[in-house]
Amino acid sequence: MSTNKIPLLEVKDLKQHFPITSGSILQKQVGAIRAVDGISFDVYPGETLGIVGESGCGKSTTVRSISQLYKPTSGTVKFNGVDLVKADHRTMLKARRDIQMIFQDPYASLDPRMTVRSIIAEPMVIYNNRKLLEKPMSSIEIERRVEELMERVGLNKAFKNRYPHEFSGGQRQRIGIARALALNPKIILADEPVSALDVSIQSQILNLLSDLQKEFGLTYIFIAHDLAVIQHISTRVAVMYLGKIVEVSEAVQLYDNPLHPYTIALLSAAPIPDPQIERERKRIILTGDVPSPDKERNGCYFYDRCPKKMPWCSCHIPPMFKMNDKQEVACWLYDQTDHSKTTMEEAQADAAKVQN
Amino acid sequence: MSMKPDAKVVLEVKDLKTYFKTDAGVVKAVDGVSFSVREGETIGIVGESGSGKSVTNLSVMRLIPSPPGKIVGGEVLFEGKDILKLTEKQMRSYRGNKISMIFQDPMTSLNPFLKISTQMIETIQLHEKDVSKQEALERSIEMLKLVGIPSAEKRIQSYPHQFSGGMRQRVMIAMALSCNAEVLVADEPTTALDVTIQAQILELIQKLSAQMGTAVILITHDLGVVAGMCDQVCVMYAGRIVEKASTDELYARPSHPYTEGLIKSVPRMDTSKKGDRLFSIEGQPPNVIDLPPCCPFHPRCNRAMDVCRSVYPPVKNIGNGHEVACWLHVEEQERAQALANDKQEEKA
Amino acid sequence: MFFTRNKKKNAALNEFDQVVEGNSLSKDAWKRLRKNKAAVVGMVIVIVYSLLAAFAMFLPIYPYDQIILDHQHLRPSLTKTAGDLMMENKLKDLYFKAWRAGTLVVTDAQSKQIETWIADNETNNVWDFCYTEGQKQLAAGTFTFSDADQRTIDRLQEKINTEFLIEVDKMYYTDPDTGKTKNIARMDFEQIKQIYADYLGVDVAVIAQQSDQEIRNQVLNKVKAATPGLSTEEYEANLELELQSMGDKGIATLGKSNMLVSIKTAISRSIERGLKQEIKDGTAKFPVNRTVVVNEKISAAITADLKHTRHYYLGTDYSGRDMLSRIIYGGQVSIAIGLVGTITSVLIGIVLGAIAGYAGGKIDFFLMRLVDIMYGLPYMLLVIIFMAIFGRNIMNLFVALAIVSWLTVARMVRGQVMSLKNSEYVEAARSMGASTWRIIFRHMVPNSLSVIIVYSTLRVPAFIMQESFLSFLGLGVQAPYASWGSLVGDAVNGMTLYPWKLIFPALAMTIFLFAMNFFGDGLRDAFDPQSKNQL
Repeated sequence: MSTNKIPLLEVKDLKQHFPITSGSILQKQVGAIRAVDGISFDVYPGETLGIVGESGCGKSTTVRSISQLYKPTSGTVKFNGVDLVKADHRTMLKARRDIQMIFQDPYASLDPRMTVRSIIAEPMVIYNNRKLLEKPMSSIEIERRVEELMERVGLNKAFKNRYPHEFSGGQRQRIGIARALALNPKIILADEPVSALDVSIQSQILNLLSDLQKEFGLTYIFIAHDLAVIQHISTRVAVMYLGKIVEVSEAVQLYDNPLHPYTIALLSAAPIPDPQIERERKRIILTGDVPSPDKERNGCYFYDRCPKKMPWCSCHIPPMFKMNDKQEVACWLYDQTDHSKTTMEEAQADAAKVQN
Repeated sequence: MSMKPDAKVVLEVKDLKTYFKTDAGVVKAVDGVSFSVREGETIGIVGESGSGKSVTNLSVMRLIPSPPGKIVGGEVLFEGKDILKLTEKQMRSYRGNKISMIFQDPMTSLNPFLKISTQMIETIQLHEKDVSKQEALERSIEMLKLVGIPSAEKRIQSYPHQFSGGMRQRVMIAMALSCNAEVLVADEPTTALDVTIQAQILELIQKLSAQMGTAVILITHDLGVVAGMCDQVCVMYAGRIVEKASTDELYARPSHPYTEGLIKSVPRMDTSKKGDRLFSIEGQPPNVIDLPPCCPFHPRCNRAMDVCRSVYPPVKNIGNGHEVACWLHVEEQERAQALANDKQEEKA
Repeated sequence: MFFTRNKKKNAALNEFDQVVEGNSLSKDAWKRLRKNKAAVVGMVIVIVYSLLAAFAMFLPIYPYDQIILDHQHLRPSLTKTAGDLMMENKLKDLYFKAWRAGTLVVTDAQSKQIETWIADNETNNVWDFCYTEGQKQLAAGTFTFSDADQRTIDRLQEKINTEFLIEVDKMYYTDPDTGKTKNIARMDFEQIKQIYADYLGVDVAVIAQQSDQEIRNQVLNKVKAATPGLSTEEYEANLELELQSMGDKGIATLGKSNMLVSIKTAISRSIERGLKQEIKDGTAKFPVNRTVVVNEKISAAITADLKHTRHYYLGTDYSGRDMLSRIIYGGQVSIAIGLVGTITSVLIGIVLGAIAGYAGGKIDFFLMRLVDIMYGLPYMLLVIIFMAIFGRNIMNLFVALAIVSWLTVARMVRGQVMSLKNSEYVEAARSMGASTWRIIFRHMVPNSLSVIIVYSTLRVPAFIMQESFLSFLGLGVQAPYASWGSLVGDAVNGMTLYPWKLIFPALAMTIFLFAMNFFGDGLRDAFDPQSKNQL
């Protein structure tokens, strides 16, 4: 993205650790799940930042920390210049109007006891009751807005008195989108909005989301585990692994020129719906599973599974190397100095020196 | 990956019909499905949720919860023998032994209270009475090694919750293959797994199938998985197979508007450009309760004709073993005839 | 108009031109409930019982607290009147005495049988046998009553034929000056005093003094009952305080109701005399329903009926009260306790459970330990202690039962809330800035409601059982009020002699509890999504 723009959302060194405690009254922290372990990125108005990664890499936690559903352990989240982590209740509520979420599971994210109308109207009702709207809405205005939103997302407004369970998955996701749009937000955090949907519905929702972005000038943070989907909808992509961002790049660059060994493996593992290409592709199959994020690391987070690991990586956490305007990567392979010849002993000695 | 036209047919499903009786009406979950699998071949069944792909395979395994479900017609021939006519006791010796199944969620199909070793030994001894416990254990360890579980001798004494999702799925595959099953039914085996793990599991299934000559029925909604894995593909929609062809043929020449739309609506990493609008099939998948006798896809089809709205299309072979159920591939004359017949029936 | 029609058309059809009907979760549950026959029968029974209890005062039944000593322990009968049964009882007694005296001759074997019955305490058999034998012999002419006995019978017959009950429904006062007629009950205390004084022909001051004294006595008794064990002076002081706190208005109301009773008694006595005369003359026709002129100023609307022509379909109790109406009024109390107790305990449980579940941490810990401790205590003992301390009345019974029975609801709601707390729609609500109260009471409670409703219906019978148990012990409702439990408790004495006193209330209660349990089970099945056979 062009650098002269002011970012809408700045995330700096965000950490989200969930304490593991034992004992019932006198609770003692015995460890922490490091779901998000120090990530930084900027989001510019009008763009779509895709976050991709495997389950447990902390991508859902990231958006929940940004929207302050979880209170971050440390770091800052600046939205329009306001630090949400330190913001008081009222400032937070005001900011929340501009930050809305779309959830993964269209079956679980809608209250089954509420009609579609009251689901879509809920954000408006809440903000109206709290007198946080620019101008208060009457119930008729809310009603009209609900109908307008339903039509915009492609739902028949005659169905507004029905309950969510009477709709199919795709229609429910449309209800969720209408609810997120109700307050005219600036940024929408979409947590895997299409991964629970059928293929034919998935493309409908993706198209709807891009149309809405054009129409209302929305900014998205879009989470998915499907690389093809991410690449299709995003302008920039951040690849996450074990609570860390390992690579940020423009969407086109990512497929054409992936840098981090994890990104390369991820891309090669994702199937392409074409038998001829599939047959000719070479797969890099990673061994092992994603390790548990409950221990502190002093080496590269991907070290255990990396096909190109060097002794140096085991005890040095890689910083983000800026490759060019469009790509940043956290991997020692792209350091100025060549670490491939360093032996384990040398690396460890170096690490010990840095620590002291 | 190559077609094996000479290999013998292991499993043949003919005009299978499974209906469910619900409060709201009869659900024709599977309505006249036919396909066959050859030795060493992998056949993919693709469809959206509710298209009846899982019910098809549960019917083959005779695991339909009854009531409300019931297999109301058709044949499932395993090596020429109709297993729908077997007693439950006879069927048990087929299940696991000749036809094995792996499920989407491996946790639900493993007993959380028993060690992996106990469960695997039990499975083997259930099907081969004369195997001793020691032999069974050795074979289990061997199978676990085969599916790539490190230090299998130690891990076999663990409980299911001590394994990660991918490892559990490997254990399931090891169990399914430990009895030298001839057909492996894999019901969305990788949907709950991550991409990198999915790649591992799919490669494993492919390798084992080639090694042991096992026929694989792979149920999935992911067209990418099918493209990489299968020799043949059946596309299901609303309880019926709408198109059936070899994988290459299907992707090169999708002939049912649904298949075509499905392939086009998946974003592709390699070709699609940012900013392109994705092709999409409008509308929602139908609710299969009390479907009228029309083509169930017609409300979403942009090439629907009058005849589509009233009569279900016949299955036509359009060459290369490519079968499709769509009026577009039927002669004009026949279409008119069908429409006329339907009108007459309506009057009567 | 056009718009609504258009909307309906849109909503009704799907892409195959098939009609799609709207369906909410509760509608769905109702559909499933209707299929469950036992549950529907249970529901109907519960509704019928509730209606009977709610509209008991409009039913054509005898007052549940009217004591008629002549009608003590009459057996249930569909055809015979109270008079017939009284006569039957008398005859049984007389025949038995005759057998004792040797005037009623039976065979030796029969005599022996009677002796063994007496030895086994099976009195009913003795009486029934003597009665049938006696009637047979009397008809055959082999037995006649002695003169004394015959006189007793005649006297009883006369009593049955002539005794009647008067009910003064309304009293009117006609002002001799203006000629206007007024309902006395609507007049104020001073006027009523004047009327009563006129009627008795004494000075108003005398009446006023009498009334004052009466009120003082009433209040003093109340004070004594509330705080026993004080000295006379202390009582006097308390009395003055109490009277002050009642104020002039309170005293006037009490005085007026006393005065009305006095006038009513006086009038009905005078009317009674008249009616007796009419009976003697043979001009009386029952039932009487008319306005009687007492004197030139006072008239009264009365109803009167022969006392012994009543029908007791379910018999009477030890003070001659109608069992049928006591069971219906007892049901009123029992069902009310079941419902009110359940509602209070569920409300307490929902609030505490939701708070514990949502807040978590220390609040949860302490609330749940409180629940654990309360669980550990023998709760019936708690109730009994509570009743002993705060006095035995229905209100205290409600409170006592409610404060010990919210525990399970609280635990259940807590569990529900904890599982819903992490659901995506609650997260969605939080991301929209919904307040904690909104999340709990708009999202979590409605979604736990089906579980709560089911639990509550299954809870009502438990409450009724507990109340019955307490009443059975004598700690529940007090006479003249009745509940199923107290009826059963009262009936246990003389259960072999008067089985109907036990059987009918027990039967009424059993049927209701059965129905309630079936209904609750049905509701659970209906609300349980597991039982929904959907694909």
